[in-house]
Amino acid sequence: MKFSVEKVVGGGRLGSILPAGRHENAVIETPMCTLFTKVGSAPHLGYDMLKRVSNIPDIATMSLGGLAPHHENIREFGKGLGEFTALKSNIIFTTLHDASFAITSGKNDRNGVALWGKGGKFKMDPSLYVKVQEAFRPDWFQALSDGDTDKDTGKKRLIKAVNNSLDFLDNTVQLLQKSEVLKNSSLIGAIQGGFDVEERQRSAKETSARPVHGFLIEGFEKGHSGLDLFSLESFSSLLAKTVSCLPENKPRIMETAWSPLQVLRAFKLGIDVFSSVYPYLLTQKGQALITDYTIPPKSASAELEREQSGDCLPPNSGLFIDLTNKSNFEDFRPVLPGCDCYCCSNFTRSYIHHLLNTSELLAYVLLMIHNFHQYFKFFSCLRKSAREGTLDDLQASLELQSS
Amino acid sequence: MAAKGKHALSLNILAQCSTSKARACLMSLPHAQVDTPVFMPVGTQGTLKGLVPDQLRELDCKIMLGNTYHLGHRPGPELLEQAGGLHKFMSWDRALLTDSGGFQMVSLLELAHITEEGVKFKSPHNGTEMLLTPEKSIEIQNSIGADIIMQLDDVVHSSIEGERLEEAMYRTIRWLDRCIKAHQRPTEQCLFPIVQGGLNSDLRTRCAEELIKRDVGGYAIGGLSGGESKSDFWRMVTLSTDLLPDEKPRYLMGVGFAVDLVVCVALGCDMFDCVFPTRTARFGCALVKTGQLNLKNASFATDFRPIDADCPWPCCKNYTRAYLHVLANTEPAACNILTVHNVAYQLQLMRTMRKSIMEDKFPDFVQQFFNDMFPSGEFPDWAVEALASVNISLR
Repeated sequence: MKFSVEKVVGGGRLGSILPAGRHENAVIETPMCTLFTKVGSAPHLGYDMLKRVSNIPDIATMSLGGLAPHHENIREFGKGLGEFTALKSNIIFTTLHDASFAITSGKNDRNGVALWGKGGKFKMDPSLYVKVQEAFRPDWFQALSDGDTDKDTGKKRLIKAVNNSLDFLDNTVQLLQKSEVLKNSSLIGAIQGGFDVEERQRSAKETSARPVHGFLIEGFEKGHSGLDLFSLESFSSLLAKTVSCLPENKPRIMETAWSPLQVLRAFKLGIDVFSSVYPYLLTQKGQALITDYTIPPKSASAELEREQSGDCLPPNSGLFIDLTNKSNFEDFRPVLPGCDCYCCSNFTRSYIHHLLNTSELLAYVLLMIHNFHQYFKFFSCLRKSAREGTLDDLQASLELQSS
Repeated sequence: MAAKGKHALSLNILAQCSTSKARACLMSLPHAQVDTPVFMPVGTQGTLKGLVPDQLRELDCKIMLGNTYHLGHRPGPELLEQAGGLHKFMSWDRALLTDSGGFQMVSLLELAHITEEGVKFKSPHNGTEMLLTPEKSIEIQNSIGADIIMQLDDVVHSSIEGERLEEAMYRTIRWLDRCIKAHQRPTEQCLFPIVQGGLNSDLRTRCAEELIKRDVGGYAIGGLSGGESKSDFWRMVTLSTDLLPDEKPRYLMGVGFAVDLVVCVALGCDMFDCVFPTRTARFGCALVKTGQLNLKNASFATDFRPIDADCPWPCCKNYTRAYLHVLANTEPAACNILTVHNVAYQLQLMRTMRKSIMEDKFPDFVQQFFNDMFPSGEFPDWAVEALASVNISLR
């Protein structure tokens, strides 16, 4: 994989990724998000429903927790995870943890890392890890690392997290030299260090010195905690100082559940690749993204929603509506008037409210389609805005809608 | 006999099996031209379990069910009327059928009490006493706006005999008359009466004879598929189809196992519904011509074949049993994939039967079907008997 920065705008990088191997003809523009998956499938969406979403990201992130326990069967399958999960046209990026939930703390040590899936814990050391990846044949894969840290983690534990992760990385790199199967796959280093600048920078510098193709910055919240990292005073400067120790020519990835506004802020701090776990989490709560990305926001619905329910929205939440709310009962408008997604083209808020109210699976299918559509669309708006020099206007608009 | 009015349904018999009572028809409804024999998937609450209408159209599904009891509670008839009917509300432009709500009253609610007036029950939502009368059922079904609506019937368990069964049968006829009178949209919605009478041939005969005196567009056969023996079941079905007029469709309620469908098509039924294919999908079961695959079972962990190599649905070409085994144990996406497959299986089974009837090769189809389903050759006795009664002898 090759990454190059074309232009830096407001701190953010407009770049492009040239994937290697079977996807070498593709050019992926950044900033961008990956397709969030659960156990290798888009949440709620089978193959033929996912086709109804436009602008599906080229890269699908698959966390190992739910899949690693099946590695022997997938090895026997022999064609790798992409083919196994029916997402073979995507670039497959295997990560350690599912970005939608918190990991159970305290199960990592210097010998290995605990992964979490529906079946419980799955502990991996570097040699098992490489074995699993050889069965999965990902295009990108996150290095084994200890990200079991957050804002309350003490210095001693943070040092250990950084050291363990570097040791795992060294072991892995050594094992990979013997791996024919993974020679075209890109290893993504994981940057640790919690909220300690010194450890973050040490992790960044040391990891950069090793043969990795990109960086996944994690270890802020022990998996997903629901905490808004930007509400912590130290976060932005910490992230900036971490990123400053990373080389320019490799992509920086964060898996945090971020609203469009939070994504924009992180982009300006130098992050290139994001997860699409945020629209999944909204979907699970019966919520729908209705953020207006036009500059200035002009859709009547955005205005109306702001007037009606502005007070109930938590700060920096992005702009969404809660379709479980009774007020949608006889609202025969689409979720977002003017949205051209499959959900908005065919169904009303009233219907989706009914589906949520009766716990019907279709509610989540439709919301997932809408939320993915809007979130994916945001990234093309973000790139366009950065390219055209309207990034500040976009930010002001998102802030206005969130206030 | 009452004067024949214009119904919202017409039936054109296209082919009649020269051996059995099976037939292939075209049933015209306000929202669809339905090829019969037809299986109607059940979309209880205004959605077919995670599927979107487009997927159903791609599977060539022409008609599906909604449940009046559920829709009457949530979202309620007022909202459905405001939405312009269930078709618009759920964005389904093809045909719909709604039941009367009576079956759910009796099967879901312990405290249902049946009087001549209607079914009295405590609301599961707020505990208040409510009454579902024939008139109320039709009123709700008129609001929902399905192409075919069902009379409220006095539902008794199939094991009930004697006076109560007789009372239920006669009451069902009286309630039919009240339903016909209450029906406000006869040219847009076709009302079906229901043949009752339990497992008593005499009562069933009397019921059917009464019903066919009324001017209706089609008939349902009810009170079966409730745990009675298969031997009783098929005898009541064939008795009912013998009594009902050829020129109207016959809807066998609540039947949807593949073997039952094949036998009852042979006995002359045209329409079927059942929650089984969609419910079993949610438990990780896929329907195939040899029976069922319980994909949660460990034996599928390294089975890299598709669910069914012959399934026309694109998902079956992309997913292996091994992956669905992983997914079925963890993710709701598996429910959707398997639900589509199982609906596709049911519809494909009906299409194959229909084609064989059109070509007058239905007995050959039946033989092949049973050979696939029971490779040991040990066919269920009841099915052998039932098929023999319509001149199809399994070898």
